[in-house]
Amino acid sequence: MEALNQRDDNELIHSLLDTAERAEKYLSNRSFSEVRTVPESREALRGFALELGATAEETSEMLRNWTTHVPWDELLALRHGAEVAERDEAALHGLWDFLQRELPAVHAALEEMSEPPHLRRSVDPDEEYALDKNLNDFYLPGGRDLLARTEEFHGWVEARRRTETWQYSRLLDAAPGSVASIRNDTGRATRGINFNSQDYFSLNAHPAIREAAAQALREFGPHSAGSPIVLGNTRYSEALESELGELLHMEHVMLFPTGWAAGFGSIIGLVRQEDHVVIDKLAHACLQQGARAATRNVVRFEHLRLESVRQHLQAIRARDSRNGILVVTDGLFSVDADWPDLVTLQALCREYDATLLVDVAHDLGALGPGGSGVLGMQGLLGQVDLVMGSFSKTFASNGGFLATRSEAVKQYVKLFAGTHLFSNALSPTQAAVVLRATRIVRSPEGELLRRRLFRAIHALRDELIGRGRTCMGEPSPIVPLLMGNEKLARITNRLLFDRGVLAFLVEFPVTPVGSARFRLQVQAAHTPEEARTAARIIDEAINDARAYMSSAFGTGLA
Amino acid sequence: MFDIIVIGARCAGATTAMLLARKGLKVLVVDRSTFPSDVISTHFLWPHGASYLNRWGLLDRVLEVTPSHTVVNLVNEGIPLEGTVPEELLRQYFQLFHGDDSGIVQRYCSVRRRVLDKLLVDAAVEAGAEVREGFAVDELLEEDGRVVGIRGRTRDGTRVEERARVILGADGRNSFVARTLRLPKFDERLKCTFAYWTYVSGIPLDTVHIHRRGRLGLGLVPTNFGQHMVLVFGPSEWGTTFRRDVPGNFQKALDFISPELGELVRGGQREERFYGTLDQAAFLRPLFGPGWVLAGDAACFRDQCTATGMSHAFRDAELVSTALEEGLSGRKPLEEALKSSYESRRRGQVASAYYDFVCTLAEMRPPRHDDLSLYVALRSNPQETNRFIATMCDVAPVADFFQASNIFLLTDVAKESSSQHPIFERFEATSRTYLQNPFA
Ligand SMILES: Cc1cc2nc3c(=O)[nH]c(=O)nc-3n(C[C@H](O)[C@H](O)[C@H](O)COP(=O)(O)OP(=O)(O)OC[C@H]3O[C@@H](n4cnc5c(N)ncnc54)[C@H](O)[C@@H]3O)c2cc1C
Ligand SMILES: Cc1ncc(COP(=O)(O)O)c(C=O)c1O
Repeated sequence: MEALNQRDDNELIHSLLDTAERAEKYLSNRSFSEVRTVPESREALRGFALELGATAEETSEMLRNWTTHVPWDELLALRHGAEVAERDEAALHGLWDFLQRELPAVHAALEEMSEPPHLRRSVDPDEEYALDKNLNDFYLPGGRDLLARTEEFHGWVEARRRTETWQYSRLLDAAPGSVASIRNDTGRATRGINFNSQDYFSLNAHPAIREAAAQALREFGPHSAGSPIVLGNTRYSEALESELGELLHMEHVMLFPTGWAAGFGSIIGLVRQEDHVVIDKLAHACLQQGARAATRNVVRFEHLRLESVRQHLQAIRARDSRNGILVVTDGLFSVDADWPDLVTLQALCREYDATLLVDVAHDLGALGPGGSGVLGMQGLLGQVDLVMGSFSKTFASNGGFLATRSEAVKQYVKLFAGTHLFSNALSPTQAAVVLRATRIVRSPEGELLRRRLFRAIHALRDELIGRGRTCMGEPSPIVPLLMGNEKLARITNRLLFDRGVLAFLVEFPVTPVGSARFRLQVQAAHTPEEARTAARIIDEAINDARAYMSSAFGTGLA
Repeated sequence: MFDIIVIGARCAGATTAMLLARKGLKVLVVDRSTFPSDVISTHFLWPHGASYLNRWGLLDRVLEVTPSHTVVNLVNEGIPLEGTVPEELLRQYFQLFHGDDSGIVQRYCSVRRRVLDKLLVDAAVEAGAEVREGFAVDELLEEDGRVVGIRGRTRDGTRVEERARVILGADGRNSFVARTLRLPKFDERLKCTFAYWTYVSGIPLDTVHIHRRGRLGLGLVPTNFGQHMVLVFGPSEWGTTFRRDVPGNFQKALDFISPELGELVRGGQREERFYGTLDQAAFLRPLFGPGWVLAGDAACFRDQCTATGMSHAFRDAELVSTALEEGLSGRKPLEEALKSSYESRRRGQVASAYYDFVCTLAEMRPPRHDDLSLYVALRSNPQETNRFIATMCDVAPVADFFQASNIFLLTDVAKESSSQHPIFERFEATSRTYLQNPFA
């Protein structure tokens, strides 16, 4: 056991460094023959060796076993060597050799340990700050001044803007087709293959859609002038409700001004304080927040894990047989591109007297037979308790809906979902556009668009995967390219901006921390060639970002 | 000719050698140290680390001489949290990494390396591996761009050459294999902690205590020989001033972080000198190439602040021995086996998120208002507290805890408010004072 009063390693290393420095200086202008013949020099050499050897002996075994790149055995042997070298020529030469040849490297290694380069090296502090933090670091600011306490967050945003790693608030300079011209939020312009817009069927540019918008505008003007419950709906709204009902095989459809309003409103319209919500932990934010606003009894289940739903339902029913349970999930998940087994989930809900709500925002129209989405793919049309969705992905407009087979449910939610009752209705133009889009989705032209869309999707995924990248989920208009590390993702994003690909980087709160990804949203107008080109550019940008990170933040290749 | 030569006979090396020898391979493991001996480490073993030992039939031997517990005590700015790494999450962890959750335990312990590493080396010998202590490798043999063997010298100076189908570098942070092959370091994170620790007897405290205040932290853990490992850590940029007076500043830091624990340590008897380092920048290295593989600290080094290096070295040992067995037995091409059974699990999404987590923690910034509010929220939620502890030590994926809906929900249902905790009273002003180096 080592004694208490031994010096600590740091002190010893300093002492080794000091001796090494003096030795190197002393020996630098002397030759071996001088050392051999001048007794004074010989003594000095032996003195250095003795000092080094004795100090090395005093260092802890802990340190020596860790810093295995330092030739401790040789250092330890110096002491014996020095003793022998008093009269032994060969031993003297051994010492000379070590001090001349090895000591500088030992010196450098010890110095690096004692004053590691990170204490000296500086990186761009803005860039470091921009890359290191995540939004969750600013979620719970302190202080009683609600306005002032946003400043810290803003400082971070500014650092990210200065380093062009802020992916938000970009602007379009022209319609977002398969190629788009945009500006980032510092005003810098670029143009590129556009995977940054959600318009899966490219209906935004479709002549019939534009004509429908123009006609409704001429007829009704731009304004709906009222809540849907008062006088905000037009005959377009009515026709749209019934067209959607046919697509979904559900008789009763109500409209909301946005998809967000539909998700949030559906939950708060139905669920009360004592009820329960059981929700997939990755379900869309409008559903999560609706659940939190409706009740404190919210349980999140592991993404897609139905055994876990069963356990939760069982547990809730074991202690509460009186109140309602709403089970909530997305159809196609918007950042993971996968979907649940809804057949089993709906059956589970029936077993425990729970109600199922599915958000089909991303899949309705773009997937499934006749555009019927994940429900149609699983043979569930008309058989799920509640279906809600958004028009903002495939249907070329703002807006959302809730569909049910019960007239009572529809009437009730209309009056109890504040986002329906207390908000201006979809504009006539929007309703007309969505009506027209729904008809296209259900038509033979819709089939054609889906086929085109999927050709581009496959081209993009295949090319990325072929290059060793990870595309999450299933082939669908959302192609999540997994990046993981936020730093790497933000640098890649900065590089991509100038290389002709527009891609949206998603990170917290959209994804969990450490799970950043590019959410590439494909359109029917993308050619497979464009998709492959984009994949190549993205792949190269990731490689370059990696190289940048290890040169700016590390030592890079040795 | 061996199937495999392992360089380094500690947490990563002795264990891999043991596992491969048990699978019937011809294994040589060499280390320049002799055993028993210590190496820089505060040697805390989380429950997954202990579970590995248990899976290999070695935990009982450790626990015979080492105190172990299940409850972890964390105190951040006076906000206490207490919990245990849950069995369910341990199961998920072992299923995820190894497809097999046998042998899990919820205990943790702090075992001196001179105890643990000796036991591991003995286990490798028992399994049939050839172990050579006091053997320093100083050359790698390469043929046609492939590593095919080693040269080195024994304690008495004899030079020896040995060959094998694969060379495993389990030779620690300053890996000889990596230096010799000039392997790059990836994603280096320079900011790290300084850590100073010592051993004290006569401290009447059972479970592990980890406290944070400002930019400093302390750890107090019962270990072998009736002693406690007492650790102080802080930002490495303060380390150079801290070390000007190690004993004085050590006690000063303890008293600052927790006056009560400072008092307990003062009342105990220090049994050894102080140990310390501030050389802890994190990095990744490539995991394998023609004829060579890296495991443990050689492959990935991170700051000590989450005390996970040994548990990770054990994880590497299980993964890499599975992969090497698949490859060397000819059931899969070696490269493919290393890719699918080793690299894909070590360099996946979960691992990289944890790497970030540790490196961020290692910057030792003063706790943020957000962090502290979260701890308050956790106080009324034992289940999530347990998950938080499991996340800290890399049993549960970072992404499962730090996920928006989880964090929102956690704060929604919190039963305790910030008013019970004095740190919130003058939070801003206090945070500012935390930025000043108290050792300067
Ligand atoms: C300050 C500090 C505190 C820590 N605290 C903890 C903690 O509390 N809990 C925890 O889990 N982890 C902790 N760690 C990390 C942990 O100690 C390491 O992760 C662990 O030791 C790695 O094991 P290893 O087998 O990879 O390497 P090592 O333990 O470093 O072993 C490498 C071995 O290789 C041998 N070797 C090297 N080169 C050669 C050569 N050329 N020839 C022959 N042999 C050679 C060395 O002699 C050595 O014995 C800490 C680390 C530090 C720095
Ligand atoms: C799954 C899901 N639900 C709802 C919404 C909200 O839709 P909207 O954009 O129409 O408000 C979105 C879109 O962001 C979504 O992805």
